[in-house]
Amino acid sequence: MMAGNGAAPAASPLLELVGIRAAYGGIEVLHGVDLAVPPGAVVALLGANGAGKSTTVKVASGLLAPTAGQVHVAGHDVTGASCHDLARIGVCTIPEGRGVFPNLTVRENLWMATQVSGRLDRIEEGVYARFPLLGERRTLLAGSLSGGEQQMLALSRALVTDPAVLVLDELSMGLAPIVVQQLYEIVAQVAREGISILVVEQFARAVLGIADRAAIMVNGVVAHAGTPAELQSELSSAYLGERT
Amino acid sequence: MSERSARLEQEAANLKVSTSAKRDGVFQTVGALAMAAGVVVALVAYPLSLGKDDPRDIQSLIILAVSMLALAVAGAAVFLRYSLARFLRFWLLRQLYEGQAHIDRLVGALDKPGTADGDASSDAFSPRDRSSQ
Repeated sequence: MMAGNGAAPAASPLLELVGIRAAYGGIEVLHGVDLAVPPGAVVALLGANGAGKSTTVKVASGLLAPTAGQVHVAGHDVTGASCHDLARIGVCTIPEGRGVFPNLTVRENLWMATQVSGRLDRIEEGVYARFPLLGERRTLLAGSLSGGEQQMLALSRALVTDPAVLVLDELSMGLAPIVVQQLYEIVAQVAREGISILVVEQFARAVLGIADRAAIMVNGVVAHAGTPAELQSELSSAYLGERT
Repeated sequence: MSERSARLEQEAANLKVSTSAKRDGVFQTVGALAMAAGVVVALVAYPLSLGKDDPRDIQSLIILAVSMLALAVAGAAVFLRYSLARFLRFWLLRQLYEGQAHIDRLVGALDKPGTADGDASSDAFSPRDRSSQ
């Protein structure tokens, strides 16, 4: 896999979480998460099941309001902004489980993006150029596509909204390794086009090949952060439950 | 910074953070409090008026009781409006979720052997390909 575009980590982050605490009811699951996505960089958020990765995505995308801390977009405090407001300004999330409309065709799924992205024929032209497979399946129901194709559809629908930051939650879930590799090659290509990407992933090896920065979550906090090379030694201990 | 990043900064600066969910909760609480306070004060004021001799005291207490009843009705309306909004939001989400789960079951059933493309019954009506309908 090819690496991302190597954006300088020192640049002012496009998406930043500062001291985020979040809870479901009375149970706090994030205990002060700090995370930054610099412009044009791919940041991987890793961690074992239940570490708080998806909750962090929910906070970053406006689906869950934090109980404390701040969410910054391009240096502006947007804490408490709704997910549709964040999506409108360019923070686009692909949720865990793909988030396509299974009872609509591929074409109709893309049609959903016309509200923000203009004419369907232009959208289709761009999407099918990037994902020729979707062009061949344009009249099929999204629910009848393979997992990888559904993920491509979700990705293409997100891309046509012209996002500045893309948040991907568990892209590899339920997919074969070869499909995951293909998807991450597409993600690397998207990053090279200048879109900042936050990838949440349980399977670290899949994403570290394209990431510029990575963070490992353990028990609701970011336990380690750095370049993928720096985190190699921390991965096994984080996944096996040791705190170093 | 790229053109898109600069645009994001501009749009983030102009973003007005909506606090409608918090506002709903506040209105719901205010409505409930007004409803409770109105009923309690009205129930206290009216019996008090029965023990007064001066018509002006009686009138004042009756006016207070009626006003409090009006407050209770208004509070109930506010409480109902914001409770219903929250309930209907959850109802809509549940409908969407159940609709998607139903479609998933249908698609799963279509993938089972015997309903594959070669099967005559599925050829007659294939919801997978809308171009053929």
